[in-house]
This record gives sequence, structure tokens and C-alpha cells, in this order.
Amino acid sequence: MKGAIICIGNRLVAEDAAGMAVFDQLRARDGLPAEVTVIEGGLAGLNLLPLLEQGGRVVFVDAVQGFTRPGEMVLLDRQQIVNTLGGGYFDHGSGLAYVLSVLPQVCDGDLPEEIVLVGLEGECTLPTIKRAAELSITLATHGLKERT
Amino acid sequence: MTNTLKGLNIPLNRAEGDLEIRVEIDNGIITEAWSAGTMFRGFEGMMRGRGALDGLVVTPRICGICSLTHLTAAVEALEAIAGIAPPDNARRLRNLALMVETIQSDVRQAVLMFMVDFANKEAYHDHPLGEEAQNRYNPLQGRAAIEVIRESKRLLQMVAIIGGQWPHTSFMVPGGVTSIPEISKILQCRIILERFRSWYERSMLGCSIERWQAVRSRNDLDIWLDEKPSHRDSEVGFFIRFARQAGLHAFGKGPARFLSYGNFTLPRETAVTGADGRLLPSGFAAGIEVASFAAAKITEDVSHAWFEQGSKPVHPFDGTTKPYASGQGGKLYSWIKAPRYGGEVVETGPLAEMVIAGNPLFRDLVAQGGPNVLVRELARLVRSAYVLKPMATWINELLDRRQDDFYHAVKHLPDGEGAGMIEAARGALGHWVKIKDEKIAHYQIITPTAWNGSPRDERGVRGAWEEALIGTPINDLENPVEAGHVVRSFDPCLVCAVHCLQKEKKKGALLLGLKQ
Repeated sequence: MKGAIICIGNRLVAEDAAGMAVFDQLRARDGLPAEVTVIEGGLAGLNLLPLLEQGGRVVFVDAVQGFTRPGEMVLLDRQQIVNTLGGGYFDHGSGLAYVLSVLPQVCDGDLPEEIVLVGLEGECTLPTIKRAAELSITLATHGLKERT
Repeated sequence: MTNTLKGLNIPLNRAEGDLEIRVEIDNGIITEAWSAGTMFRGFEGMMRGRGALDGLVVTPRICGICSLTHLTAAVEALEAIAGIAPPDNARRLRNLALMVETIQSDVRQAVLMFMVDFANKEAYHDHPLGEEAQNRYNPLQGRAAIEVIRESKRLLQMVAIIGGQWPHTSFMVPGGVTSIPEISKILQCRIILERFRSWYERSMLGCSIERWQAVRSRNDLDIWLDEKPSHRDSEVGFFIRFARQAGLHAFGKGPARFLSYGNFTLPRETAVTGADGRLLPSGFAAGIEVASFAAAKITEDVSHAWFEQGSKPVHPFDGTTKPYASGQGGKLYSWIKAPRYGGEVVETGPLAEMVIAGNPLFRDLVAQGGPNVLVRELARLVRSAYVLKPMATWINELLDRRQDDFYHAVKHLPDGEGAGMIEAARGALGHWVKIKDEKIAHYQIITPTAWNGSPRDERGVRGAWEEALIGTPINDLENPVEAGHVVRSFDPCLVCAVHCLQKEKKKGALLLGLKQ
């Protein structure tokens, strides 16, 4: 099964740059599994939707707030991500929870078979960023269930 | 008896995480307003010392909504420095990408961010169209809301084709574009565009673009509305009917002065016509009296913003961005500077474009009723009707002329200064750049929201939406939806910020209210 690693965030804002740091690690890495693609999702927001119509596994990597201790990683599944959505109002800062909430209603292709988020809490050290990069590859290749 | 409330904070966080509006209300009417951008961005400082071309990569990442818009301004500034113009095919591709971004922003803003407030049960439970508004615009469920997300997503495929990658393309470079789409891909763009136009006509307008363009006055608009059920039931028709009954034509005037930099530089050989080499002309208007635009009249005032004080308002080629957030006893209240044109506060955005381009419908609406919330938002709702046909023409021209150039080699960027001045979805956007020894020596950006959401200037004159809030009736202090209508009619965008997933609800994320 193919897998996409979509790193999101804003490399110009320190507290939202972790996803981009993982993206840079993945890009600099020698060799990725053939079935895995790495995408700079950046600030695309709602425009991430076209990346979620191609089936397979999707692994998001992003900074998170309030899930674990600063400097640590957390894994969230699709429902846990959607649960963070407030009233469902769209704004210019609408993020992953909004995108995943609306996805089933607007998808023109195949919904992802699995969606998982590698969340990075607060300021993360380089070893943590590297662990997140390796974990995202494992998840994109083998999936959440097999890993656990 | 006078009932005055002072210092009432109206959180607009649902629209923008970084905007705060404070008002004074006297007998249910807003009598004073302050708008504060609450985040220092400082992109200008990040740019200094970088390579000359870095603006093409960094500035599209300032904002996820206006990525291509910043890319366009950045590349035009560099081309002004180099004294070059890209080939016609590059113009066509750049314009098409920018138009997609604008259309996408307009339809999403109108339905998902503005008209969603029509579904506000507390505010509009007695409105005769309130229930229908909920069916259309309720978040994540409303018929129109879902349609807009789906159709704007499909249109985006054009950018993926034109830009050669998605997201975060930097396909515009000095001298042209970096990729040449295959004929099959251009044909695909044509199909995507035709499909979008069909949806836009059916759902948004309820009529053909040609029929809409025949609406040239307030009287024509009333005739159009009565003509067919499809007109009344379209999103535009419903918007007008709802907004009139909610009184949105009666407040939100603002400064009644308009500014547009002009947009969409025309290819030298094209069937699309415009003015002064662009599809949309630049200009300044006082009411509907249009005057020519002079870039030298732009200044930035920091007298009420948290920046280093002491200097008089200066042109963005001479301005600096040095944060200074202390002192001044509360006089300073925003991280947004106050751009002024000839010393005057102006409004920018779709309505300004319409007035300055001489659109007869909007000139008549402004002449008869002044600027107001209804007219300002209507301009955004129907702007696509005026760009979809030029888009189709340029796609056909690309098919006919694909063998022509897409890029002229630029081997060296000389020292110098140049400006990229275009129209973003929200209005006038400028990048002012100086290059020295192949490095960026100076970079100033004035966004549309800086124009519209500025604080007061050294004369104490309010910013555009601060002024527009004055006189706004607030029927329910617990649910001041009218103030939200005013500010959102300008389509504020201050986000450029943190998008990360938060376990706790964001403060003020759900309601435009007073209890947050």
C-alpha cells in the first residue's frame, strides 16, 4: 500500500515549525521506501484536500499544543484529530481538524485507508525530530495497527 | 437616558486569530472603535541579507491563503529591478494562477466566513430567511458550504497543473515561468474551468455570466432579482434578499475612498482588453470620482502602532519595521502600521476594484447608497463573473501559442529597487524591494489588511474598518453579529500564523460574542 507523509506547519513561526523540520530531515535522508512520498503541506489548510483523495495511508506531521509534555511526541488517529474541532467554523487558520471533518463530504477520489498524525509538542530537540521522521516512515509503510 | 458602554472587546477570533476589535457603544450604536492586530510578523526583517531571489520562496509561505499572490508581487518587484518583462505565455499562466487563488478565496470567504453568520440562530431566529440560511450555511453541513468547498477544491487543480507542483509552488521567476504545461494539461485546465463556470453560473449567480453582466444599475439589480426563481434562489440572490432584510445596506460605510493598484498585466498580444496594459486599472477614488494612481503617494504611519516611534510617515522604500512595544501610555495599540494614500485613509478590495474599473452596477450602488456592508460583500460574491471569461480566453491562447516562449533567460539581477504592486483577493498588495550585491538590502510589504485594518494615523484618523464600524447598530450586546458583518465585509486576513493542532479550544474560536 502506498503512503504519503504530509508535513504541515509554518517554518517562519518557531512554535509551528516542527513539521517543517521533520520535512527537511526526510528530504535529506538517503533513500525512502518506494511506496512512500513526502509532501511539504506547509500552510495549505483546506487545499490539502486534493492530497487526501488517493487512498493509501496518510501520515501528517505537525506541531501540537496541549497533548503531552513539551519536547515529546504524540500519535493521534483520525477521530482524535477531528475531536479537536470546535464549532466547525471555517477561518483563514483552519487546520487539519477542519480538513478531516469535511473530507468525507467532498472527496472525489478514494478516501485514505488510514490517517494518523505524528504530533510534536513544544520545542523539540534534533534527536526528537529525527525520531519523528523515522516514525513517520514506519507508519506510512506499515500502518498504525501493525506498529502497535 | 444615555446608555454608554466603554472599552467593550469584541473578539473576532473566529475570523482571525490575531485581530481584536474594541468599541464604545452609545444607546445601541457603535460610537468609537479600535482595531488591533495582535501579532508581530516581522517578515521584512527576515528578508534582509538573503539572496536576491529568496523572496520567491519565502514570501509565498507568509500566508497559506495568498501564497500565489505574494509570489506574483515578489516576482514583479524583481522584474522591475531587472527592467524586464516576461513573455506573453508566462503572463497568461501567472494570471490564470492568480485568478484561481482569487476566485477560490472569494467564494470561500463569502459562504464559509461571511454568510455563515446568517445561520447564527441567536441573531436571526426571527429573520424570515433564517431557517433557509441555516440549511445553506451551517458549518460542515450547509448545502452551500459543502458545495463551495468541493468546487473550490476542484478549481485548484489548475494551479497544480500550471505550477508544476502543489502545494508551495514557486513557478514564477524573473523572466517567466519554470514549467511549460503539455497540451493535454492545458486542455484539462479548460475542462476544469468550464466545469467551475457551469457551477458558478448555476449555484452562485443563478444565471449566465452574460446575463449578470447586463445588470448595470440598482434598478437592473431589482429587475434581475424579480426575473426568475433561479436568480432569487442563487447564493447571490439569497445574499441580497437576506442582507436587505437584515439592514446590511444601512451601515458599514467606511472612509468612502478607494484604492486599487490594478491587476493582471495583459500579454502584449491578446484578445482580452483592459486599461493601461492591465485587465483591472489602478486608481484612487473619492466616492465614485476616480483619479489616476501615483505610487509615490503611499506612506506608512506608525504613530499608533507598536513600532519604533519618532519618524514621520514615509514611503515603503524608505520605511523600516522595528518593533517597539512599550511606553506611549496606551496610545500604541496595534502591530499593524497605518498605510495612507496622499495622507488619506482608503478602503481596498473588490468594491474598490469595481468602482475604479468603472463597473456601472457598483458605481451606481455606491452613488445611491454609499459604501456599505451589503455592497462591499456583493462585490466579492460576483467578482468571479468578471474574470472567468478572460481566463477562458487565455487558456485558448495558450493552446494556440504553446510553441511561443514561456521564459526569457535572466542571467543577472542588478543592484536597484523595484516594487511589485498587484491586487490580492483582499485588495492592494505591494512588495518594495532593494537589491545590493545580489542580496536583499530592503524588503517592505504592505498587505490589503494593513490598508483596511490599520490603526489611527498621526492625525488621529481611524483606519478603514474602524471608521466603518462607527454608526453600526448592535441589537444584542451578547451577540454583536452586526460588528462582525462590518469587519468581515472587508475579508480580514491577519493569520499568517500558527496553525498547529490545539487540544483546548482556541479562545474566542466559536463565537463573536462578549463572554469569551
